[in-house]
Amino acid sequence: MSVLELEDVHTYYGESHVLQGVSLDVEEQEIVALIGRNGVGKTTTLRSILQLTPPQEGTIRYRGEEIVGKDTHEVSNDGIGWVPEERRMFGYLTVEENIRVAVKPDDDFEAQREYVYSLFPALDEFSEKEARNLSGGQQQMLAIARGMVGQNELLLVDEPSEGLAPMIVDQVVDALETASEDTTMILVEQNFPLAMELADRFYLIDHGTVVESGSTEGVTADDERIRRYLSA
Amino acid sequence: MTFELATEVPLVIDTLERLFQPSTIARIIVEGLGKAAVYFVLAVGLTLVFGLMGVLNFTHGAMAMLGAYIGGLIMVLSVSDGTGALVRIALFVVVLAVVFALLTGFGSAFEYSLIRPIYDRTPMYQILLTFGVALILEEVTRIVVLSQGIQPEPPWSGAMGTAPAVFTERYDILGAPIRGLYAFEIVLGIVAVVGVWLFLNRTLYGLYIRAGSEDPEMVEALGIDVRQAFTIVFGLGTGLAGIGGVLLMWDPLWGPSALLAIDVLLYAFVVVIIGGLGSFKGTVAAAILVGIADSFTTWLFATGIVTFTGLPELTIFGLLVIMLIIRPQGLYGVEEVGGH
Repeated sequence: MSVLELEDVHTYYGESHVLQGVSLDVEEQEIVALIGRNGVGKTTTLRSILQLTPPQEGTIRYRGEEIVGKDTHEVSNDGIGWVPEERRMFGYLTVEENIRVAVKPDDDFEAQREYVYSLFPALDEFSEKEARNLSGGQQQMLAIARGMVGQNELLLVDEPSEGLAPMIVDQVVDALETASEDTTMILVEQNFPLAMELADRFYLIDHGTVVESGSTEGVTADDERIRRYLSA
Repeated sequence: MTFELATEVPLVIDTLERLFQPSTIARIIVEGLGKAAVYFVLAVGLTLVFGLMGVLNFTHGAMAMLGAYIGGLIMVLSVSDGTGALVRIALFVVVLAVVFALLTGFGSAFEYSLIRPIYDRTPMYQILLTFGVALILEEVTRIVVLSQGIQPEPPWSGAMGTAPAVFTERYDILGAPIRGLYAFEIVLGIVAVVGVWLFLNRTLYGLYIRAGSEDPEMVEALGIDVRQAFTIVFGLGTGLAGIGGVLLMWDPLWGPSALLAIDVLLYAFVVVIIGGLGSFKGTVAAAILVGIADSFTTWLFATGIVTFTGLPELTIFGLLVIMLIIRPQGLYGVEEVGGH
């Protein structure tokens, strides 16, 4: 059984019909990349899964259970984590408080904290620092860490390399690879080579619908079917 | 209303000399901190609600009015001429707990039933709704108290008369005659500041509220039921308004009256805006600033150098205008808070 299945999902922002029948599925322990130009519906797909922008048509099943119509916090508590675009730290909370918010009340906070600090030792060093005072790379680490605590089994990661220096991107890639050992992942990424390096499979989205999909094995930006949609 | 600035030089010099006497400074500070304590309690609920929910709650003053009347009713029914000071103070503490519980429940029910359905609409809907409900609460209160033979204006003297003598008498502090009530208000204010601080900084729910004040959608996406948090915080904010009303019940300058619905709202908004919308630290600082300014101008009026009765209000609203011009986000506010 797939971890996640989207079937003919239609999502609107007001009158704007953004997702026009997206269908995809994600298997256990996979990293699936959603690629495409800006504004084609990649982030909206993640927001639809989380019910932040609920679809008006179609079905989304997580481990076989329909989640359309649930509240976002219920979807999160089902085990779906989110690493949003632009990180969205709680800037006036410390690193440790940011992690504390993400740990479920019934979970062992100490154990979860030790777990993420073992994965990202730099965060331990800055644990009492307010998140707004961290560098972009440190904030991205924290965003990934925040998505990983809470016993999440599926992580939705949106543009993790955006605005980061190349050296920092390498650290983020390491962090995502570490995270993928424990969780299934959907990755939205503008950096095409990076997406292909990390992901097992990809879905190419254009005008709110999936136009290509397949294994990332051997796929390059020169591939005709990719180039057609990624070039502006 | 008349405005007369005494032009006689000797009076001005005398006033300046008295201003720097220890007794004057003690009076301004103690009375100012007493007022600050009340202003803090009145404003902190408003700022918590705005910080988390982005809702400007115009019912806040009406809730304080209800708190003052409910508190007054319990005290009038429980106290007789022979009731001692300690029993009156104990009853007052019970009244604080009862009013807090009642208004927290009322506020939660109000948020759940009327405000929750309009979160997705523009803020104007929330403003109109809460303003309308505030008017209804004020008018219904007027009708009810009148039906019981109590004038809604001026303040209900029967309730004010339940204060123990220890609060109405004046005590000598550095040569200044200070009303006992102010010392009591300072103690309650400290308890309120510490209590709210501990709730926000030492409890998991307080952490969720601080996070939600920055980004409620992100908090929801981390598995926290933000709508439930809204209901709880709105209830707590309303309960704190009720406690503020109870504190005003014995205050000779306020007392239970229908006028509290608007007057309290204005003062609370001034404190919240000067401190910075949504900022706890700002609310504490602004309450002290406004309290001291109020106390100073009240003293100035008492000296006779100024006979304009509206001087305290003019000064406080003047502070608000200055703050809006030089630092619109307030003392500790950030550019954007709340909003969802």
